[in-house]
Amino acid sequence: MIETIRIGTLLRETLATPYRNLVTRPTGAAVRDRIEAALAESDCLTALLDFSDVELLDFSCADEVVAKLLLARASLTGRIVVLQGLREDQHEAIEQVLTYHGLTVVAVSGGGDCLPQLIGWVTPDVRLAFGCLCERGALDAAGLAFALGWPESKGREIMQALLERRLVRQEGEIYCPLTIA
Amino acid sequence: MTRVIEVPPHLDDRSFEQFAAGFGAWPPEEKLLLDARSAQWASPYGLIGMLTAGQALAEARCERPLLAVPTSPEVKSYWARIGFFRYAVDLFELHGKLPKASASGPSDALLDITPVRAMEDVHEAVNRISESAARILRAELGLERTATGRFSMALSEVCQNIVEHAGTSGWVAAQTYTFRRRLGRRVAVIAVSDAGIGFRRSLESTHAKRFGERWGDGAALEAALVQNVSRFRDPGRGQGFRQIKPFLDKWEGKISIRSGTARLAIVPVWDEDVPLSEHLPFFPGAQVQITIPAPEADAR
Repeated sequence: MIETIRIGTLLRETLATPYRNLVTRPTGAAVRDRIEAALAESDCLTALLDFSDVELLDFSCADEVVAKLLLARASLTGRIVVLQGLREDQHEAIEQVLTYHGLTVVAVSGGGDCLPQLIGWVTPDVRLAFGCLCERGALDAAGLAFALGWPESKGREIMQALLERRLVRQEGEIYCPLTIA
Repeated sequence: MTRVIEVPPHLDDRSFEQFAAGFGAWPPEEKLLLDARSAQWASPYGLIGMLTAGQALAEARCERPLLAVPTSPEVKSYWARIGFFRYAVDLFELHGKLPKASASGPSDALLDITPVRAMEDVHEAVNRISESAARILRAELGLERTATGRFSMALSEVCQNIVEHAGTSGWVAAQTYTFRRRLGRRVAVIAVSDAGIGFRRSLESTHAKRFGERWGDGAALEAALVQNVSRFRDPGRGQGFRQIKPFLDKWEGKISIRSGTARLAIVPVWDEDVPLSEHLPFFPGAQVQITIPAPEADAR
């Protein structure tokens, strides 16, 4: 199950104004509190944070909303976080902040017609494996290794890295890419 | 006795040092007269620097300073339009005829002089500049939409520094103009200034020990701008300047920060500034300027 959280709506509720600019740390922290409250009442497996009605996202809010949400593993309880509707400058702000923290998140375009992307700190192998899963669908570690011409031990190691970063979901021996459609 | 401080005819981040030197030991003991009668032009940095001086004198409980307004009607009119006199009237005893509000017309500034006292003011400044930034920066500098977004992001980050570190309020303004002497191109400039405790005192309790005898205004600026330290323990803090740097690199932009007796800059190839200046005349608080030039091909 997917819980879609419209960040622009939370922003307007937080500030009680029609502003579309997500700026300043206190505002970012307040929006994150609301995201965590929404997730606490949800039994979703994927939290889809929709930024499409946010105009400006500054670095402070990228840190407070996205990085700190990913760092607060307790409130996510194993959920995968996916970002949607990011503009180029918002994407770059989140990329810089997550890279600094060594974090990674999945982003999809608003139309859902492109493959998911990884934002943040990613090794080339992790990026390759994630792309392979998105293109081919669910695979086990051996299937991934075969597809990429790796030894099976490397397939297992990279699948574990994807899992630890909550970029894929595990079902028994199988690792599943995100399905948000 | 009254000390007269000449406001340089062209008041910008360079000539600001001449202005700052006029105050002597801080806080000045004499009554001050800021003489701006010969002013021909002032950048946003210069204008909010003057307001910062007035604010710092008020907070130091000095006698209310005098300000002789420019004699040039055009200069006065511009200073009125960008909002200088709206705030100067509370900080200075103004001498000279001010233009009527109705006669000065609407401002063409990217962002009129705006006080920054709390986070709500940062929101207000960002919202105001977002409305005009995309249109003006695209039309006058040929910057693409992503660059105008980053310009507003940079403004947000430097304004938040005032609220979080200065211990008092400050000012922000932004404008586009032609940088004839150094560049020969249009530039967009964000200027932020506060009359607060400055970088050295803000970072002293958490970082001075590491620097030992080197600790001072210059080392504090280096810690903030180059090493990205913060007085907050939160690991995400202190990254504001760091995050602005890729934007400056991409657009050949410049940032300079002055605090106390030092000034540190990230200097692009088009500028001749020195990265670090120390032993400058003391000036209260911190002053930041971000300059983004029009891309070379679009120079006009």
